[in-house]
Amino acid sequence: MKIIEKIKTNKSIDNQTEIQKICLDKLQSSPLPNPKSEQWRLSNKSKFSNFLDYSVNEKDPKFDTPFPNSSQSNIRLVIGDNCQINLIEENYSIKQLSEDKLVKYIKEQISCFDRNENWSDLLNLSLNCKKNILGLKISGSEIPPIEIFSHASSNSLNVKTLIIFLEKNCDIDLLQVNLGKDNSSLSQSTFFCLEENSSVNHGVVSYGENKSNLLNSLNVIQQKNSEYNLGSLHFKFNYARFEIRIKQSEGNAKTNIKGMQITKKDEQISTFTKINFHGPNGFLDQINKSLADDKSHAIFEGSIIVPKIAQKTDASQLSRNLLLSNLAQIDTKPQLEIIADDVKCKHGATISQLNEEELFYMRTRGITLTEASKLQLSSYFQEIISFIPVSKDRWDLLDKLLNET
Amino acid sequence: MVNENLVKDVVKEPYKYGFVTDIETEKIAKGLNEDIIRLISEKKEEPEYLLDFRLKAFKKWQTMDEPDWAGLGYKQIDYQDIIYYSAPKQKEKISSLDEVDPKLLETFDKLGIPLTEQKKLTNVAVDAVFDSVSIATTFREELAEHGVIFCSISEAVKNHSDLIEKYLGTVVPASDNYFAALNSAVFSDGSFVYIPKGVTCPMDLSSYFRINSGDSGQFERTLIIAEESSSVSYLEGCTAPMFDTNTLHAAVVELIALDDASIKYSTVQNWYAGDEEGIGGIFNFVTKRGKCLGKRSKISWSQVETGSAITWKYPSCLLLGEESVGEFYSVALTNNLQKADTGTKMIHIGPKTKSTIVSKGISAGKSINSYRGLVKMGTKAKGSRNYSQCDSMLIGDQASANTFPYIKSQQPNSEIEHEASTCRISEDQLFYLQSRGIEFEEAVSMMVSGFCRDVFNQLPMEFAAEADKLLALKLEGSVG
Repeated sequence: MKIIEKIKTNKSIDNQTEIQKICLDKLQSSPLPNPKSEQWRLSNKSKFSNFLDYSVNEKDPKFDTPFPNSSQSNIRLVIGDNCQINLIEENYSIKQLSEDKLVKYIKEQISCFDRNENWSDLLNLSLNCKKNILGLKISGSEIPPIEIFSHASSNSLNVKTLIIFLEKNCDIDLLQVNLGKDNSSLSQSTFFCLEENSSVNHGVVSYGENKSNLLNSLNVIQQKNSEYNLGSLHFKFNYARFEIRIKQSEGNAKTNIKGMQITKKDEQISTFTKINFHGPNGFLDQINKSLADDKSHAIFEGSIIVPKIAQKTDASQLSRNLLLSNLAQIDTKPQLEIIADDVKCKHGATISQLNEEELFYMRTRGITLTEASKLQLSSYFQEIISFIPVSKDRWDLLDKLLNET
Repeated sequence: MVNENLVKDVVKEPYKYGFVTDIETEKIAKGLNEDIIRLISEKKEEPEYLLDFRLKAFKKWQTMDEPDWAGLGYKQIDYQDIIYYSAPKQKEKISSLDEVDPKLLETFDKLGIPLTEQKKLTNVAVDAVFDSVSIATTFREELAEHGVIFCSISEAVKNHSDLIEKYLGTVVPASDNYFAALNSAVFSDGSFVYIPKGVTCPMDLSSYFRINSGDSGQFERTLIIAEESSSVSYLEGCTAPMFDTNTLHAAVVELIALDDASIKYSTVQNWYAGDEEGIGGIFNFVTKRGKCLGKRSKISWSQVETGSAITWKYPSCLLLGEESVGEFYSVALTNNLQKADTGTKMIHIGPKTKSTIVSKGISAGKSINSYRGLVKMGTKAKGSRNYSQCDSMLIGDQASANTFPYIKSQQPNSEIEHEASTCRISEDQLFYLQSRGIEFEEAVSMMVSGFCRDVFNQLPMEFAAEADKLLALKLEGSVG
C-alpha cells in the first residue's frame, strides 16, 4: 500500500497546503481505518489494499469520455483539467469559491470528522492538491442543468474534491459522473451545502472498467425548507464504496434517495448512508437496491438518527436486494436510532431472486426466459434510473445495465 | 393532550421481589483462578472430563476481551470481586421436599412459585435454583414414568454423565464468546431436561432462578435435549433482591432438537433493574442458543424482558435439519436507566428451513432499548424463508429505541423479509378509550398489551397472564 507508506512518513507530498497538513496529521498515527469498525468490517481487505496500491496522479489525465457529447443547454465541467468557471447571467450566477472560503469551509468540516466514518474524506483531502478541488457557489433561478465529471487514468490514484454552495431559493439539476479506468483508483469527495428554500436534483453515476476502484463520499448539509433528491447508480467496479452522509441541520427539510448498485464477477460494491435529523419535521424517503451476480458481494448499511430535538420526523428506508447466483452474497443492515417519541420511522429489507411466478406468467405468453428476466430487471432498474436527473435518455443507462447483467 | 406525569407514574411501581432471604449460606472466597475452578468442581464431585472442560474454558476466557460492540457503557466489572459459588446450607441429601429448609420454601412461596406438593394442581414441574445451587425439583416421579429426565445439572452430571459428556458445549462452545467462556469455567447449577424418543412431555417444565446474595454472581447452565418426535414446553423465571451493587448473571442455555422434535422455551425475566438513578441492578449477559439438528425439528423462543439494569441477550437458532423451524417472539420493556440490547440470530444452514422473528420493544424513562438481530442464509439453505418484524414504542421523549438488523444471504433460492417501525401511544386512541369511560392508566395498559399481543399469544397460559400484569405494573406512571 504505497499511499499509506507515504502518509506514514509524510515525506513525498510536497508543498502541502494547510488542509493537507491537518488531514495528514489526523491520519499519521494510524493511517488505516479500523477494520473491526462497523463501517469497515465487511470491506474486502485485498481489494481495499489494491485501491491504495497506486501512486497519486499529479498530471491531468487525458479525457476520453465514453458518454455522449455535451448538449448546448448543459453546463459541463471536468474536475482538474484547469477547470475555471465564472458565469454571471441575468437570472443566475455560477462562481468559483474564493480560496479563503474554501479553506474555511473544509476546516469546519474536518473539525467534526470521525476518523473511521470520514476516513475516505480525510484520505481525499490529505492527498488532493489545489487543482483538483472545485468549489462552486450557485445562486439564482432557471439554471441550466449541470454535469460534473471526475475521471481516473490507468495505473494511478486520482483524487477529486467538489464543494458546492447553493444559495437561498435556488434550484438546480446536477449530474455527477465518476469514471473509472482500467487498473485505477478514484477518490471522490463531495460537499454540498443547501441553504434555505433551495432544492437539488442530484444524480451520481459511477461507471468503472475492469479492475477500477472507487471511494466516493458525499456529505450534504440541508438548511430548513430545502429539498435534496439523490438518484445514484454504481456499477462495474472491482471495489467501490459509496458513503452518503446527510444532515438536516435545522429540520423542516426533505430528502429523497434512490440508489442502486450492481455487482458481477468478483466485484464488491457497498453503500453506507447516515441520515441525521437535527431539527423537527424532517422527511426522508430512501430506497436502496442491490443486484449481485456471479461471485460478487453487495453491501448496504443505512442508519437513520433521530435525536430528541427531531420531533415529527417522518423517515422510511427500504433495502431491496436481488441475489442471482449461488456464489454471490448480499449483506444489508438498515438501522434506526430514535429518541424523539413523536415520529414515524420505519424500515424494511428484502433479499430474493427474480419472481418466479411472474417469469412463469410471461413464459406462458410466449416470452423466452431470457427476455422475461430482462423485462423484470428493466422494471427493477427503471425506478432508480428515472430518478437520475439530466439527460438520462441520451446516456442509455438502462441499455447499458441490461447488457451488463 | 396526554399528561406527561401520569405516564411517568405508570412505570413507577416498586419492585416487589426485592426482599432478601436471611439464610445461612456456604460461600467460597472471592476471586477467579484455577484453584477456585478446581474447588467448584470438587464441591460438585464432578468427573475429570468436566474439570477439563472448565479449565480449558478458563484458559480461553483469559485470552479474550470483554465485548464492547453493543455500546452498553457499563462500569468495568471486577471479575476478582465476585463470589463464584454460594449455596444455602442444608442437609447433605434431600429425599423429599419436607427436608428443604422452610425458609427457602417460604422464599419461593413469596415469589409465587409452587414448590410444595399441595400445589400439584398447577401441573407445572419446577426446578428452583437459589444462588448457585438447585434446591428442589418437583414432580420428578411423575415425569420419570414417561421417561422424562428433569433435574438439576449437577445431578445429571452424576446420574446421566453420558448425556452430559455427549451434549454439553456442543451448541454453545466454551470459546463462543466472553461470557459463555466465563460461564463454562464457573457454572454452578442449572436445569437438565431429557425427553426420550416419541414422548410429549406431560406437563410444562419450569425453572426459577433466584439470586439472593449481593456479592455472588449467578452462572447457571441449562441443557435441554429433545429426542426424535418428542416435544416439551419449558418456562423460565427470575428475580433478585434489591442491592446497590450490580450483580453479574451470565447464563448459558443449550437446546438440541432431533428429528421432528419441538422445544418451546419461554422466559419472563424480571431481575432487579436498579433504582430510578440507575444504581444497582443485575447485569444480565446471557448466551442462549438452540440447534435444530433433526429434520422438521422446531425451536421456539419466547421472552418477556422487563428487568435487569443491562440485558445483553440473543436467543438464537441454528437451523441445520431439513425443513427445521426457528421462532423468536420477544417483548422487551425498559424504563428509567435500563439498557436492553436483545434480539436473535437465525442461521439457516439446511435446506427449506424457516424462521420467524417478532420483536416488540417498549422504551420509557431514559432507557435504551435496542433490537439487534442476524438472519443468515448459508449456501445450502435452498428454499429457506425468513420473516422478521420489529416494532418499537416510545414513551416520553428521553427514551431511545434502536433497531440493528444484520441480514446476510448467500443463497439466491431463499427469501428474507424484514420490517421495522416505530410508534408511540397515539393520543387519538387514548382519547377514544377515555371517552368510552376507560380510565387513563387502563387505556395505556390496554394499548401496550395490544401492541404486544402477537408475542403474548405465543406464551404458555400461566406466563401470558403474568406477562400482561407485569407490563402493566412496570408501566404504571410512565405514560403521559
